[in-house]
Amino acid sequence: MDEALDKTPGGPEEELPNWSRRQFLLGTTGLAVAGAAALWTRTPIVDAARAIFGSPVDTGLVHVYQEDFYFVPNYMTWRVGDKMTMRLQNMSLTRYHEMQIGRHVSREQTIFGTLTADGFTEDFWDGVPVTFSNPYKMDNLVYSKAIPTFIGPKSDYLIEYGGALSPTLKPGGHIDLTFVVPDKPGIWQYG
Amino acid sequence: MAQPLPKGQMASMPKRIAPWPPVLRAFLWAGIGFVVLAAIAAWLDPSPNSPYLTAVGSVAGWFGALIGWLLGIGGYDYIVRPMMGYPTPRVRTSGWRRYYEYALDHKVIGLQYLGASTGTFLVAGLIAMAMRFQLMNYQPTLFHYPEDYLNAVGIHGTLMMFTVATVAMVGGLGNYFVPLMIGTRETMFPKASGISVWLVPIGVLTISMSPLLGQWSTGWRGYEPLAASDGSGLLYYYLGVFALTTSSLIVAINLTATILFKRTKGMTWNRLPLFAWGILTVSLLNIIWLPEIQATFILGMLDKVMPLNLFNVFGQPLGYEYLFWLFGHPEVYIVVIPALAIWNEILPVMGRKSLFARPIAVLGLVFVMLLSGMVWAHHMFTMMRFSEMLPFSFFTEMISIPTGFAYLAAIGTLWNSRLRITTPTLLVLMSMFNFLIGGLTGLFLADVPANLQLHNTFFVVGHFHYTIIGGMVFSWMAAMYYWLPKFSGRTYSEFWGKLGAIWVFIAFNATFLNFFILGLHGMNRWVSAYPKYLQPENFWTSIAAFFLGAGFGINIIHIVWAWIKGPKVKENPWDAKTLEWQTSSPPPAKNFDVLPEVVGSFYTYGDNVPDPVVIPSVQEQTPGL
Amino acid sequence: MGSVLVFGLLWVVISLLGEWGATTWINSAPDGTGPYFGTASNLGVIGAHAFDFLVWVAVPIFVFVVLMIIFAMIKFRAKRGEKVIDAPKQTRNNKVFVGSWILISILVNLLVWLHPNASGLEQVFAAQLPANNPNPLVVDVTARQWEWIFSYPQYNITQSLNANGQDTLYLPVDRPVKFVLRSYDPFHTYDTAIDVIHGFWIPAFGVKYDVIPGETRVIYITATKLISTEQNPMARVQCSEVCGPGHPYMEANLHVVTGLAFAKWAKQQASRS
Repeated sequence: MDEALDKTPGGPEEELPNWSRRQFLLGTTGLAVAGAAALWTRTPIVDAARAIFGSPVDTGLVHVYQEDFYFVPNYMTWRVGDKMTMRLQNMSLTRYHEMQIGRHVSREQTIFGTLTADGFTEDFWDGVPVTFSNPYKMDNLVYSKAIPTFIGPKSDYLIEYGGALSPTLKPGGHIDLTFVVPDKPGIWQYG
Repeated sequence: MAQPLPKGQMASMPKRIAPWPPVLRAFLWAGIGFVVLAAIAAWLDPSPNSPYLTAVGSVAGWFGALIGWLLGIGGYDYIVRPMMGYPTPRVRTSGWRRYYEYALDHKVIGLQYLGASTGTFLVAGLIAMAMRFQLMNYQPTLFHYPEDYLNAVGIHGTLMMFTVATVAMVGGLGNYFVPLMIGTRETMFPKASGISVWLVPIGVLTISMSPLLGQWSTGWRGYEPLAASDGSGLLYYYLGVFALTTSSLIVAINLTATILFKRTKGMTWNRLPLFAWGILTVSLLNIIWLPEIQATFILGMLDKVMPLNLFNVFGQPLGYEYLFWLFGHPEVYIVVIPALAIWNEILPVMGRKSLFARPIAVLGLVFVMLLSGMVWAHHMFTMMRFSEMLPFSFFTEMISIPTGFAYLAAIGTLWNSRLRITTPTLLVLMSMFNFLIGGLTGLFLADVPANLQLHNTFFVVGHFHYTIIGGMVFSWMAAMYYWLPKFSGRTYSEFWGKLGAIWVFIAFNATFLNFFILGLHGMNRWVSAYPKYLQPENFWTSIAAFFLGAGFGINIIHIVWAWIKGPKVKENPWDAKTLEWQTSSPPPAKNFDVLPEVVGSFYTYGDNVPDPVVIPSVQEQTPGL
Repeated sequence: MGSVLVFGLLWVVISLLGEWGATTWINSAPDGTGPYFGTASNLGVIGAHAFDFLVWVAVPIFVFVVLMIIFAMIKFRAKRGEKVIDAPKQTRNNKVFVGSWILISILVNLLVWLHPNASGLEQVFAAQLPANNPNPLVVDVTARQWEWIFSYPQYNITQSLNANGQDTLYLPVDRPVKFVLRSYDPFHTYDTAIDVIHGFWIPAFGVKYDVIPGETRVIYITATKLISTEQNPMARVQCSEVCGPGHPYMEANLHVVTGLAFAKWAKQQASRS
């Protein structure tokens, strides 16, 4: 049972080179730094890279991934007049995700002070023709102010009525939005 | 089993170049294990969304990493290869390197556990500081989104519970001192023990890095059905806790077997030191309840990955909560029993007075252990049927009776003693004060009508921090100062020790007394934002909390300094009678040159009391070896 | 023996002083709400009385142990630099002390279990009997991630909202309210697997009860004071069980108004929805 321990005092201990202290310290420090960087510095690194290299203009098909709780990418540049397809994919294993694009976050007063309410006061899709296609695991689709075209049976989209255009996807779902970028320059936020 | 090879063959082995540091090799093998198993899982069960890492893959990959880690740290060289007939490596590193590789010496393992606990205490403590910084303002400042804050709360709680509170005094002090105190040279299962300690770092890393997989917001309890739909980082919460509890389970089995079978001659149950009694009762609790929580966590994990729908509307939404607290309340006593034992270990020595009512003190520990499995649902008064409220509040009130026995023995010992007010004495008395407040506020929480208001407020948070920091951490510090001369042959500065003790005592009470008031004022748990009227009180609580953090820092620096550079002292500076003091400090590799024999009680003082320990002459004992 | 007398005397005197201080604290606000705050409902008062009683029980216990610690540090301390010798009196047991300790701790625990716990629970249970709650106002409370939705079926109000479109709870004072608590998402009724446990808590009412998915739980509360969130932020509906990232903000404002004002408000709401 404790053979290993009992044996040790027996024969002479073999003299072997010890493992390197420098290797150990450098290795563990390096791993700690990498771990800390992975936890905390992803956003600063991405922001810095964008500040240095700028943000490339997206055309054609762009993938937008919805994670818990962030978008990848979190910044895009679109050119007015380009025809684009945005494939929205909910990457979460467990959570529903929804996407709106707009400006000016609406606010509300509560006992916690002024809070952001859900939604924007101005909808990016207002009056924009959008073709919806390729729906998979849709939860619902709201499009009140956009001009929609649907590919495939409309029932797949589980359309509901409400405010700004916002597809809601179940975990693992996706949908394509094809549109010509409208002449509405400026910074729009998506959330 | 391994067949020892003839000596000639060993010597003829070619001289090897310096090996990799085992820790780095473990990391590399863990990485390889992760990639291989995650890839196999992704290939067997592809997800249309995540081509690289699926939920199943992240679980399978973790087990690959676990195996790679344990093999890399020493499992391959010291366990797998010997099983296949190769010789056990005869190399034994010395010096500081011993602590960063696979070890068999219970003292090295104990210090590995202590180091891991202390490091995690610092990390989780820093998270607590960040949380208190956030709570200085009623609106988000440091944690921009509530999920960031809730994830920090969860990691803080999980690490503190499973790596500090349940480990420092059991895996750490227990592994180091139990064999010394019962007079043996080794523990029962040194190989398993050497591996088990390396489950701690991987458990801690798994939990700390879990936000990378997806933030989770459940706090340390992982309540269902929220857990099932929460961020996928929870998978690593389950797995990290699985590693940590497995580690504690191995410690429990090892130390129970050691206490049962390895006591030296004359170490009867009536003479067994109080701390060993504490470790024995805790280990029995661990053996009973850790498998239960592991099974529960595996169900929670499967529920999330499959999903099995065990704990949502289709199953039993409260099922997980009952299973969790079935373990969760005994857990509290797993934390505090060693602390209660430490009080009555230190006070007789410092008071030069016989331990008062020793059988009652031991019975208290044992009855706490027995009753602790009957009170769990008092964490769920707001969830349960009315008919359950009376029995659970009954057992909850009753458990304070055996807990009080620790006070009975301590107070009886203090009375008429010649108390040396040293740092350990001071810390024990402070721990008694703090735990008293923890216990008395428990009186309010056990009262169901009041509980319906106080539950899930900061009143509860204050209550359990009083029991865990106030009871366990203060006793842990007392034990560290008390045994410092044993660890290193050096001692601390009485001035800095007392200053550090008084500092943390004042800062601790200034912080957590406020929690009770905040709770009564309507401050609920798990919030990063709260109504503005609570801000001034939260602000001052945070200031006190920062002082508390600094106070722990001072004590840790002081202990480390004393360990390395403190003044040398004689081998038994407190004139204590227990066995660990009857050998040199620090203890030699084999603990005792000659195993001592116990002939009397360690806790009897007074004139004409014979020495309880006899060291037989070498000739007498050799045949018995 | 001398030490015992001195200690006993100190304990009695300081405990009495402590009880006097505690009583002053308790009575520093009406209805014994000094330290407790949440007494604006019939159930809250039960909890407050229990709290007050336990303060009185706790004071002598607290004083006993803390006084003992301080007493020992002064009276029984070894002088600095003194030679380490064993204490002169070595009492290893004292049947009277141990026996009375065990007996008293059993009695105190039985006492607090019976009163205020069991006696208070009896009042709580009685307050939950439908027979004791004539003509209740029914409020259907729906908890979802992360919103409280209140509807009043007797008044045809499907979702009560304030002027800003936020959910709000209006209650008449001194009329029993039957809260019907459910946790589900009315906007995702087809996916019940995402429902989680919430805690229905009104701090000012001194009571909370959890809302469990798949179960319909009923709790009767009678509001006894005219309060509103604006005037006292403890009067709010707050989720007390962690329920995901939105948990801190899962709050709704509360107004307890007179019966007349309530009827007027209900009419207004009904016409809106």
